[in-house]
Amino acid sequence: MEGRPEDDSELVARARRGDVAAYEEIVRRYQQVAFRTAYMITGSAAEAEDAAQDGFMKAYRALDGFRSGAPPRPWLLRIVANEARNRVRSTQRRLGLELRLAEGFRPGDAAPSPEAASVAAEDRNRLLRFVNALDEEDRLVITSRYFLELSGAETAAALGIPEGTVKSRLSRSLARLRAKLEEAPRG
Amino acid sequence: MAELEQQLIALGAELDWPATPDLAARTYLPARRSHQVTSPQAGKYPAKPGDGEIQAGIAHGRWGGASGTYLERRWALAAVAVVIALAALVAYQPSRDAIANWLNVHTSIQRVLHLATPSPQPPGPLGERLGLGGRTTLTAARKQVTWHIGIPSSLGQPDEVYLQPPADAPAQGEVTLVYATRPGIAVAGQTGVSVLITEARGAVNQNFFGKMLGPGTTLEEVSVAGHQGYWIAGAPNVFFFTDANGNFRNETMRLATNTLILDDGGTVVRIEGNLTKAQALQIAASLG
Repeated sequence: MEGRPEDDSELVARARRGDVAAYEEIVRRYQQVAFRTAYMITGSAAEAEDAAQDGFMKAYRALDGFRSGAPPRPWLLRIVANEARNRVRSTQRRLGLELRLAEGFRPGDAAPSPEAASVAAEDRNRLLRFVNALDEEDRLVITSRYFLELSGAETAAALGIPEGTVKSRLSRSLARLRAKLEEAPRG
Repeated sequence: MAELEQQLIALGAELDWPATPDLAARTYLPARRSHQVTSPQAGKYPAKPGDGEIQAGIAHGRWGGASGTYLERRWALAAVAVVIALAALVAYQPSRDAIANWLNVHTSIQRVLHLATPSPQPPGPLGERLGLGGRTTLTAARKQVTWHIGIPSSLGQPDEVYLQPPADAPAQGEVTLVYATRPGIAVAGQTGVSVLITEARGAVNQNFFGKMLGPGTTLEEVSVAGHQGYWIAGAPNVFFFTDANGNFRNETMRLATNTLILDDGGTVVRIEGNLTKAQALQIAASLG
C-alpha cells in the first residue's frame, strides 16, 4: 500500500471526517483543470483564480452533501464553473478569450525539420484562430471536450447542460468549425 | 476519431495557459468540526437556534442559492467560509495551529486579488452611516448586555456609544465606542473619527465581522496580554458586519483602515483607526 496514491473516494471520505489535508490533496489534484475551466468561461486569469478558489471553498463546505462513491471531479468542476459563470453574469462583462500557442517545444518533443515545424505551426495557428473566433457556445464545448479533454459528463457539469446536449452541441459545433475551415483559404 | 478532433486534442496540448495558481496552498480551510456541542451561553438576548453549538461545517444555509448581487454572493461566501487565503501572511503558509486560532476572533477574512469597491457611504449620522446600531449611553449599554464592556484607559471615556439590536448583531450583542478625536491619532477618512472600538459576543461558532483584504494589506498575528489577536494594516480593506445569524449585512460594507482584532476572554474587540501597530496594541492593553 505504501506509496500508492490514495483514490478520490478515500480522500473525500477523509475530508468529510474533518481531515483538512485530504481536501487539500483533492484541491491539488484538480486545481489545474478547475482553473482552466474557469479561465475558459471568464477569459481572465484573475477571475478564474477567484472563481476556482471560491468554488473549492464552497465544495469543502458542501462535502456533507456529496454522494459517497461518486467521482468528485465533475462535482468540483460544476461548482467552480458555476462560480465562474456567476462572476461573468454579475460583472456583466466577459473578456474575450484569446487562447494562444505556447512558444517553443515541449520537453520530450522530437525536433522536426525547420520546414515541417513551420508548416505545423501555421496549421496549428490557423486552427486556433478559427476556434477563438467561434461563437461562445461552440467554443466552450469544443475547448472543454478537446483542449481540456473533459469527459462528456464533466463537460456537461462544467457547462451546466445535460450530457445528451453536450453530444448534440459538440456535433453541431464541430460541423460549423469544419465548414469554416474549409471555406477559408489557407495562407 | 475524426482528423479534426485529433488535431484539436493535439492543439490543446500546445496551448499557452496562464499558470495555475497553487490553490491548495492559498486556500485556507477551517477544520470541519462535527457533532461537538458546548453549553449555550446565557444572555439577556434570547438564545437562538444554534447558539452554543458548533455546526458541522461552518454555516449551513448561508449560501442562498444564486440570488443576490455579485458582491452579496461574494461576501456571503467570504462570511460563511471562515476562510482565509493567507497570501498576506509573511510565510504564506499558515500553520495548522493558526487555523483554529482564527475562529477565536469570529471574523471571516478572505484574501482577494482585486478588492471590491464598496458604494460610498450615504450621508447621515455616524451610527447609521457605519451600521453601528442605535445611539445610547455607556450606562444603558451595560444594562443591555451581560458581558463586560471594556473601556481603554488610554483613550478615556468614549464620545459616543452605539448598541446594535440583536436582530442585526451577534446573539449577545454588539457595542461600539466612538472616539471622535484623540491627540496623536488622525481622523480616519473611512470612518470620520479617530478610533472606533466595537465589542461583540455571541455563539462560539458565529462570525461577527468579515474582511476582504487586497494585495496591499498585511495580516499579522499578535498577542495582547495573553489574548490572541490579528493586526491588519496597509492599504484599506473591506469590512462588514454580520447579523445574528452570521449573514453578511450588505449595508455595512465599507472600506476600513488599520484594524486590530482580538479575543478578550470571549468578547471580540475590534479597534480601527489611523493607528500604528504600537498605538493599537497600547489601546488594547489598556482595556479594562
